[in-house]
Amino acid sequence: MSSARLPRDLHPVAWWVWAIGLAVAASSTTNPLVLLTVVAVASLVVFARRSEQPWARAFRLYVLVAVVIVVMRVLFRVLLGGGVGGGHVLLDLPEVPLPDWVLGLRLLGPVTRESVLAGLYDGLRLGAVVVCVGAANALANPKRLLRSVPAALHEVGTALVVAVTVLPQLAESARRVRAAQALRAGDERRTGRLRRQLVPVLEDALDRSLQLAAGMDTRGYGRAGTATPAERRVTGALMLTGLCGVCVGTYAVLDTSVPRLLGTPMLVLGVAAAVAGLLSAGRRVGRTRYRPDPWRWPEFAVMASGIATGAVLHWVSEHQLVVAYPDLASFPQVTLVALLGSLVGLLAAVAAPEPRPVTS
Amino acid sequence: MSTPAAVPVSRRTALVLALASLGGLMMLLWPLLLRVPPDTERIDPPFLFLALLPVVIAVVLAELSEGGLDTRVLAVLGVLSAVIAVLRGISAGTGGIELVFFLLVLAGRVFGPGFGFVLGVTSLFASALMTAGVGPWLPFQMLVSAWVGMGAGLLPRRVTGRAEIVMLVVYGVLAAYLYGLLMNLSGWPFLLGIVVPGHEQTALSFDPGAPLWENLRRFGAFTLITSTGSFDTGRAITNAVAIAVLGPAVLTTLRRAARRATVRGHVDPARTAA
Repeated sequence: MSSARLPRDLHPVAWWVWAIGLAVAASSTTNPLVLLTVVAVASLVVFARRSEQPWARAFRLYVLVAVVIVVMRVLFRVLLGGGVGGGHVLLDLPEVPLPDWVLGLRLLGPVTRESVLAGLYDGLRLGAVVVCVGAANALANPKRLLRSVPAALHEVGTALVVAVTVLPQLAESARRVRAAQALRAGDERRTGRLRRQLVPVLEDALDRSLQLAAGMDTRGYGRAGTATPAERRVTGALMLTGLCGVCVGTYAVLDTSVPRLLGTPMLVLGVAAAVAGLLSAGRRVGRTRYRPDPWRWPEFAVMASGIATGAVLHWVSEHQLVVAYPDLASFPQVTLVALLGSLVGLLAAVAAPEPRPVTS
Repeated sequence: MSTPAAVPVSRRTALVLALASLGGLMMLLWPLLLRVPPDTERIDPPFLFLALLPVVIAVVLAELSEGGLDTRVLAVLGVLSAVIAVLRGISAGTGGIELVFFLLVLAGRVFGPGFGFVLGVTSLFASALMTAGVGPWLPFQMLVSAWVGMGAGLLPRRVTGRAEIVMLVVYGVLAAYLYGLLMNLSGWPFLLGIVVPGHEQTALSFDPGAPLWENLRRFGAFTLITSTGSFDTGRAITNAVAIAVLGPAVLTTLRRAARRATVRGHVDPARTAA
């Protein structure tokens, strides 16, 4: 076995790219068979490759949220959508007209198969996207992910690392304050008690943060920008161009009466300029990384399987409309391309090494 | 006693902020801006924006920290994000009672608009990382709460004492409702579907063919039924009460920290040598 496949945590960015690829795939179809395949692929990979860390248990929560989304979608259909359109009536519920001041809405009414299916398909799509994101959350180590933020966001990333690390201290601080307050007389009403708790904890936390800052200063975190004014101007120009492009592109995507040239090309241009601005802003940060996460072939393979899933299903949504957006009147069809495309994501489970066992 | 801004906002930064806010607002309000040819077969919610918004937010954050942030400001930012994440964790899901904005508004007020913006982003991101709440909704939440923090920093500086608390309470209530409204607007077409000819949806679904007023009416009914009456009101009341009761004490604490975190002295070489 090569060293790349020894038990270790895969680079978190690889998992995220894989999951985003799956989410793109899910968002470009309403075919329930394809969507359920994508959900199954995401779940299988999670069960095969998740570690025993606390964040790995979060996957259940995302599945729950997805189920709630689907149920809500269908419920809204039944509750508000009765009587519109035609179709096979499944359940003939009585219609409840509401008084005029609630905008003349009608509740319930006949439930048609088409309306329930439409709600189910659309809900499944959003639910599948949520499950894909949940898979990334369960698989990728959030602390390692914070270390791979782009250099331009180095400082904000540092603040986030501080936030994540400081959390357990807050609990300890709250316990200490409670013990100290129990020994003293004082305001016993509810608001008074709350104030006596919160203010010392906050004060303690802020005090510690200043101590931490002093420690960071001595370790060289407090660095001034070394960029020359010319470099800073270039960075600023790139960022402003990028944002302008994104603004114009967003508007053009929404308003189809605007020339098409302003739509997607402008958006691509804007994002490219923005990314260039971020890179240029990141170049001023001189820092080294302590034990960087390796990026080897399993990372590439996981990433590629996610991107392939997204690309194939995007192609399906453009060229096989009947498969991507099935008719509500008949049973949804799948083609070999769509099925294989959604199964490619499963390769991630094969390519990724086993997670590192938790050492107690 | 005016302390220097924790995160300085230059004219260029302000321009970047304005442009990014415009872009973000368009992505939030897209149902009201959408114009399609009348014979369109099907319309999908723009999932593209879910990927685009993080880039916009990243650019603003990079610009805000472009000159290099002071380590003390960084540390305070991290600690306040953690406190807000805890507040969000202990208050989540209990009948719309959310304490997120309470500290965000107070910190934005004390540390200024630039800090408020960054804190709005980092606190929601930190809490999402901790409670595993990273989802498609996160970029929108980060942007709107960043606006809430920035807005608190932009409130008039002259107001002090009891009037300041009253002003912050009013702002907290407005922010809570506006947050709920904008989040609903971004999620509305995803939850209720989009009307296209031939594919009927619910009576409250977004209809790109209908005039703006009709869509606003539908959205108003949707948001009134789902959240403005319950969750958003709960959030507004919690924030108002928390600011009124704990505001003065917390403001004092934060101001003390702000003064220590932003003081910038320099050593006079002549005096050190002596």
